[in-house]
Amino acid sequence: MNVEIDPRPAEPLLQLRGISKRFTGVRALDRVDLDVRAGELHVLFGENGAGKSTLINVVSGTFPPDEGTFRFGGEEIRHLTPQRARETGISPVFQEFSLIPSLTVEENLFLGREITRGGMLRAREMRKRARALIDELGFDLNPAQRIDDLSRAHQQMAEIAKALLGRVRLLILDEPTASLTERETGRLFELIARLKSQNVGLIYVSHRMREIRALADRVTVLRDGRHIRTLDAAKSTDGELVELMTGRTIDLLFPTIAHQPDKVMVDVENLTLADGSVREVNFHARAGEITGIAGLVGCGKSELIRAIYGIERASAGAIRIDGAPYESPRPSHSLKRGVAYFPANRIAEGLALSRPIRENASMTGLDLPAFARFGVIRQAAERVTIAGIMTQLQLRPPNIERSAGALSGGNRQKVMLGRALTRELTVFLFDEPSVGIDVGAKLEVYEFMKRLVEAGAAVIVVSSELPEVLALSNRLYVMHQGRIAAELTGAAKTEQNVLSSFFRDHLATEVA
Amino acid sequence: MSDLELTVAAKDTDRPKLTLGHRLWSAVLPVALAVLLLGFAAVNRGVLSPANLLNIAQQTSYLALFAMAQTVVILTRGFDLALGPTVSMVSVGSALAMAGATASGHGAGAVLLAGLGAGFALGIACGLFNGVVVALLGVNPFVATLGSYNIAIGIATTLSAGRPVQGVPAPFSQIFYSGSTFGVPAAIVITVAVGIALHLLLARTVFGRSLYLIGTNPRAAAVAGMPVKRILVATYVLCSGLAALGAIMMTARTGSGEPNLGGALSLQAIAGAVVGGTSLAGGRGGVGTAVLGALFITILSNGMNLTRIDGYVQMVVLGAIVIMGVLLDRLRQERRQ
Amino acid sequence: MNTALVATAPRGLVSLRSIAGRIGLLPALLVVLVAGMSAVDAQFYGIINVLNILRNASLLAIVACGQALVIIAGGFDLSVGAVVALASVVTAKTMAATAAAFPGSNVLIIASGVAAGLGCGVAVGLVNGFCVAKLKVSGFVVTLGTMSATAGVGLMITNGIPVYGMPEVFVKGFGRAQAFGLPTAAHVALIVILVMVFAQRRTLFGRYVYAIGGNVDAAVVSGVTIQRHIVGTYVVSSVLAALTGILLTAQVGSGQASFGGDRMMLQSIAAAVIGGVSLRGGVGRIEIVAISALFLTILGNALNLLHVDSRLQPVFLGVIMVAAVALDELSRGSKSRV
Repeated sequence: MNVEIDPRPAEPLLQLRGISKRFTGVRALDRVDLDVRAGELHVLFGENGAGKSTLINVVSGTFPPDEGTFRFGGEEIRHLTPQRARETGISPVFQEFSLIPSLTVEENLFLGREITRGGMLRAREMRKRARALIDELGFDLNPAQRIDDLSRAHQQMAEIAKALLGRVRLLILDEPTASLTERETGRLFELIARLKSQNVGLIYVSHRMREIRALADRVTVLRDGRHIRTLDAAKSTDGELVELMTGRTIDLLFPTIAHQPDKVMVDVENLTLADGSVREVNFHARAGEITGIAGLVGCGKSELIRAIYGIERASAGAIRIDGAPYESPRPSHSLKRGVAYFPANRIAEGLALSRPIRENASMTGLDLPAFARFGVIRQAAERVTIAGIMTQLQLRPPNIERSAGALSGGNRQKVMLGRALTRELTVFLFDEPSVGIDVGAKLEVYEFMKRLVEAGAAVIVVSSELPEVLALSNRLYVMHQGRIAAELTGAAKTEQNVLSSFFRDHLATEVA
Repeated sequence: MSDLELTVAAKDTDRPKLTLGHRLWSAVLPVALAVLLLGFAAVNRGVLSPANLLNIAQQTSYLALFAMAQTVVILTRGFDLALGPTVSMVSVGSALAMAGATASGHGAGAVLLAGLGAGFALGIACGLFNGVVVALLGVNPFVATLGSYNIAIGIATTLSAGRPVQGVPAPFSQIFYSGSTFGVPAAIVITVAVGIALHLLLARTVFGRSLYLIGTNPRAAAVAGMPVKRILVATYVLCSGLAALGAIMMTARTGSGEPNLGGALSLQAIAGAVVGGTSLAGGRGGVGTAVLGALFITILSNGMNLTRIDGYVQMVVLGAIVIMGVLLDRLRQERRQ
Repeated sequence: MNTALVATAPRGLVSLRSIAGRIGLLPALLVVLVAGMSAVDAQFYGIINVLNILRNASLLAIVACGQALVIIAGGFDLSVGAVVALASVVTAKTMAATAAAFPGSNVLIIASGVAAGLGCGVAVGLVNGFCVAKLKVSGFVVTLGTMSATAGVGLMITNGIPVYGMPEVFVKGFGRAQAFGLPTAAHVALIVILVMVFAQRRTLFGRYVYAIGGNVDAAVVSGVTIQRHIVGTYVVSSVLAALTGILLTAQVGSGQASFGGDRMMLQSIAAAVIGGVSLRGGVGRIEIVAISALFLTILGNALNLLHVDSRLQPVFLGVIMVAAVALDELSRGSKSRV
């Protein structure tokens, strides 16, 4: 970790002016300004889809901006590439790791800037430097281990170490604590303090209030690709930040849902998954209420509902749906029993992007006589039914023959929701339901859930968006490292109270 | 230009609305075909003679059938390298069964049934093997079908002792080769019938729909509750079944069971499908692309034969055409995005 | 600090798995096969048979090394068999032509022939690499096309007739010679394997090939130049195939367009895959691939000696190949069922 110490320059270390970026018709960034001073930790704050990750990708050279000026260290920068960014001292730590699974930690640390002599690798030298760096960082990492043998937390450490190899002037951290334990997070915070004292600038993406309180010097709030405001961290309140982030006071964002808990629809007993991501979990969800599950990335919350639906394999425990034992679940059986799952990653697991919306929406219903008889699709019936559902969900534009790939994130989620209306369902498993969709579409998704619950369905919401899962759920489970760490029932449901008590509870469960 | 307009007009009736670019694009290959035919005709008048056109149609029908077989698996992001050896194996097996049945004194009907039964049983067994290895054991289709490629070659040459198997009865050749319906040779009739049936299967049934969805996004299909593994097994069985039908037709043509009948068919069939516009990335293609590709390759080699272009040069041209075909497909995909 | 990490339970399992994965079952199988055959048939370890095995295994190993490199980078090379044939006929033709122009100057004749043969390899490799890396056409289709084209060129040059007219020295003094009791091909193969192992472990090229095959996006973000290295893998593969063609030509004494072919191509892929090279890319070691080539050759030889019908032998190869990969997939454990 060779940190350049230069005297505090007159102008900020990084100065962005009017940066815009479009992706196939979507304006991801709209004339955004950002200043990061040397020795400052600057938090980017915003909802998913607000433009944070596009912005850090622009800063680290992955995407070129369409317009705007980019100054770094007092110089105008043009045609930035990932390689040139690293050479000038801009080091990103992405959430999607830039690690090669089949190589070792040290091979990954030096990837793209190996120490060589005439094309030959100098392995001993690199190992020495990798060791020195890891020791200096105080990470619990073995440089000779392969990445695919490491836990997610250790991979995160390797990714951070990789960013700190070489000369660093601006470090970008994208939710670095999402998969770290308390102790590792503490280490990281010490490291951040050290870097700040060495005059390194930091961009830090997070929506954890606790971290923002502990670390931030300034906070820039982004919404819908626009720069909303840059505030002094010390002079802003949580409520103010959230309000800026969402663009409205919080009580307007979530619908009021009349929960009427009825019989237990999903009952999970001592469930342990084959890959160990969920251990001895007891959990139940009732009809007529939303059951929330919150927790860190990799805590097993998604895996839990995926196991109920039948995508992950359980090694022990029992699942009961509506009181009846459900052995070795499979998606097709789950649907027949009235259980539907809405995946977090709609591109990878939800939609066949190049196929028409109609086919995507009817995908889960092709076993029903309404859509097919003797294996032959009833094309007219399919068209009429899906067109009706999509009108009901206010798909815009309402053409069901367009390919799903042409839709925005919100409309893609509507296609997924449309599947729910093609058949009789009683249990709805939502995995990160609002990831990658805009505020308007979010509201529609929440309204959809509200209608489901009030019609007597059991809805389970897994979310990393803490305000969302808090506001929506009647009962909330918190998971940590594969186990249920707490079960909370909402009693004090005033806006600020929920937020602050949530973070206190969250802290308590992390320590426990 | 008239060809182009015709094709565009024909495409208009298709239900999913296509953009102008799409329509123009889907006309490229038919236009190229027409240009090719006219070009060869300029060199050799014989190319456009009715006899040669019928000849082209008949030759195309075999390759088209095999290209359709490949298309079915390519739709699901797989392919079948073992198709050629399967053809050899089916040819030898059905010829042996018929010779045996004849020798044990059965009537013509029983002999035919024995031949067809043995042929399709071998084909389906091969498809089951491929499907089980790919879908249930999770082996890459390349390795799985390369394995069955070797196995099928071994079985074909062992059964036949490396020599052509005689004893294919005349009625067999009559039905599957020399016979005709309203003057249309048997091979064309069978391929057209199979093509129509396969088109309906792909476009109108849950099974067909599943192939496209699985090929486009296998994980999404599984999450949506589709029986992905079962469908994949069925896909490979369908592919090998079609290959077996083609093998029976080719055996009827040669009049004997040939252990080398399949030869380079695996790759030719893949080339046919790919040149016609079936995407190796899965989810795109159909009977139309298979037939177009097969027609293109057949016309090309027929024309080159008639214009006395060296057979070895033809190999070079075919290789270039395959690469061009895929390159064009990639450019087309980029234009869409 | 490291011991603490490794000592925890799940990592212990992991390291066991990776040890098994890294050394592999293959050397053990090879030993069993050799021991078994030696016990059953004395002919097996006779000098003639051993030399025969070494020659064939060496040729296969050279091609398989190149093939493995391409597969590790996430590609495929179907054209290797055709390149073997093309290099063979081009080498022979060039030597015959040079011999006619400059009779007696053996060094020049041989040098020109070998250069022409290797040049064919470079040319085909560049075409493959260019189409895959720059034009982004799938490696399978590109090399399917160049396979057909290359084989066609080879046949065009010769009309399918063997080409003679090479200097005696090239055949007797090189192709059929032995040094330290080993045939020439074995020496060449050893050098190739050593160089390739070194390249894989110690050079930037080898490291980047792993990185590109392992995760292209991460390699790009880390500043690895992708296209140049992909072209490199195809060139190496084709050049090694050409080298095999030259060795085969020297050994047989004539250039033939029937050398190599589909059989060599399929065997090279089989050797790579059985040798633990993952078709998903990013995984595989040259030395294991070489052992796998030796294993396949000895297996074929053993089947011959045991009088297993040669026609039935492909069945064994097919079953072993599928079983090897199926076992690998199963041991990987279906983490998620989707």
